[in-house]
Amino acid sequence: MTTEKYRVRAKRAAIAALLVVVAAVSIAGCGSPAETTRVVRVGHLANDMHQLAYYVARENGYFKEEGLDVREAGAFNAGPEEMSAFSARQLDIGYVGTAPALTFAGQDMAEVKAVAGVNRVGSAIVIRNGLEGGDISALKGRNVAVPGYSTMQDFLLRIALGKARVDARDLTIMTLKPPEMAQALSSAQIDAFIAWEPYPTMTVTQGGGRVLEQSSKIWPHHPCCLVVVDSSFLLKNPDTVQRFVRAHEKATEFIKDNPEEAADLAARFTGQDREIARKAMTTIEYDTSMDKAAIQRYAAYLKEMGVIKVSDPASFAADFVEPGMLQGGGR
Amino acid sequence: MSRWWKLASPVAVIVLWQVLSSTGALPEHTPSPTKVVAGLWELTTKGLPPGYRLPGHLFASLERVLLGFAIAALVALPLGLLVGYSKRMEVIVDPLVEALRPVPPLAWLPLAVLWFGIGLFSSSFLIFLGCFFPILLSTISGVKSVEGTLVDAARTLGAKSRSIVWRVMLPGAMPSAVTGLRIGMGIGWMTLVAAEMTGVKSGYGLGYLVLTTRDLARYDLLLADIVVIGLVGFLLDRVIKVAERRLLKWR
Repeated sequence: MTTEKYRVRAKRAAIAALLVVVAAVSIAGCGSPAETTRVVRVGHLANDMHQLAYYVARENGYFKEEGLDVREAGAFNAGPEEMSAFSARQLDIGYVGTAPALTFAGQDMAEVKAVAGVNRVGSAIVIRNGLEGGDISALKGRNVAVPGYSTMQDFLLRIALGKARVDARDLTIMTLKPPEMAQALSSAQIDAFIAWEPYPTMTVTQGGGRVLEQSSKIWPHHPCCLVVVDSSFLLKNPDTVQRFVRAHEKATEFIKDNPEEAADLAARFTGQDREIARKAMTTIEYDTSMDKAAIQRYAAYLKEMGVIKVSDPASFAADFVEPGMLQGGGR
Repeated sequence: MSRWWKLASPVAVIVLWQVLSSTGALPEHTPSPTKVVAGLWELTTKGLPPGYRLPGHLFASLERVLLGFAIAALVALPLGLLVGYSKRMEVIVDPLVEALRPVPPLAWLPLAVLWFGIGLFSSSFLIFLGCFFPILLSTISGVKSVEGTLVDAARTLGAKSRSIVWRVMLPGAMPSAVTGLRIGMGIGWMTLVAAEMTGVKSGYGLGYLVLTTRDLARYDLLLADIVVIGLVGFLLDRVIKVAERRLLKWR
């Protein structure tokens, strides 16, 4: 643990040193300003309630206030696609889920660091109308859809089953992409699903089912979306990343302080009905901090499932998280 | 020329690919052929997700494709004969066919789930859509290629409509129809990845496996899966070709 702390400190010191050098060079005026860029190629997930802060920062002009030229390089349908854009070095900064970010980083498929949290929790298990039972044991013998093998939702479902002492083999767990889940549920093709917002709220509002358990109950404050940065971009442009994170923090504060205005923006961002967006927001914790221990827990699970092949998931996760850009260096 | 020449182009591509990977000329994270072979081994012995091995994926996909293909053939062959034979039928059916034909099967995905649920029938429906149009159009053009003089000759010799269809039209249309079957099978097999996006309860399927390798960033296993999809598609085409040679011996 102490070496880990030391490593983080060393890294923070290194970044601080770099900042000083960059500042010194630009003050001295002998360095070419082209060395650090204010142009940022950003990726995010399409229609994702969790990533509202990105849209708020963009629409409210927070990126511009920081002197950044943020260019939307891609709105992706799924995290793995966004991460493969990092592999191809087409993105500098991205809003993406913890699961795909760790899956790619843990196999050296992308070199990225997490510099800020985006949200915590905000997923739910939804069960079909007409099925009895108010707790997890209601899932026994049922067909349950998850968005993918080893996803955060898959992990949450397994935690919930473990807590309720239900054997995962007593149910059929299948993969289905969230946009298909609501319909499959209302036509009784599946009995339950676990997905991120807005899909649970959307399904419930449309009368397709009811929430069996919010993910905040399964694993309080569990990590979800993160702001990740291409490692070499971070090394070359720490000041730009710092400004980006500052705009992101401001946007997150805005969502917390002005939920009604944020809901208007959320409806525009996701194309959802405003009321669904507003309701979905209440299940999501918009939070820029990063919980290193929780990310380590998830990394350990990924290793256990054979997805990532790092020797020590704890130190890998510690290395992945870079809180130095947050105000006060994270909490 | 020796039949070994057939192997020249695939071998050349594999050798070139290996050389380029070992010199680092390919975009980073592109797996090398040796990695892909190791991936094939991993898919066969361990499977992905662990426990879901390659033969299971293969048989699940074959079942879906063969069902979709069989239904497409059963509907498209008679319909093609009819439309090719009757000008009026062609006028009636043609606009619908031409309007539906260009729609990519993937676009039907949500409706496929709505109509057929999750499982064999919804994925086979998408494959059916891929197979159907090439079979239909080739059969129609096969019937039309039967020369009018041949039909007239049969008629003068006193043949009835029914026997003209069975004895003249059908054999005449066969070569083109079989080509349609081959193209249809090819496109049906190509539709596999889309078809298995409808949701797979069993967790098996070569197309479904593509999605899993993507989610897990295992591009070595993705390429191994692509190799299997390609090889099996090639073999299916061969099967129809051999059957064609047997069936159309009279030519």
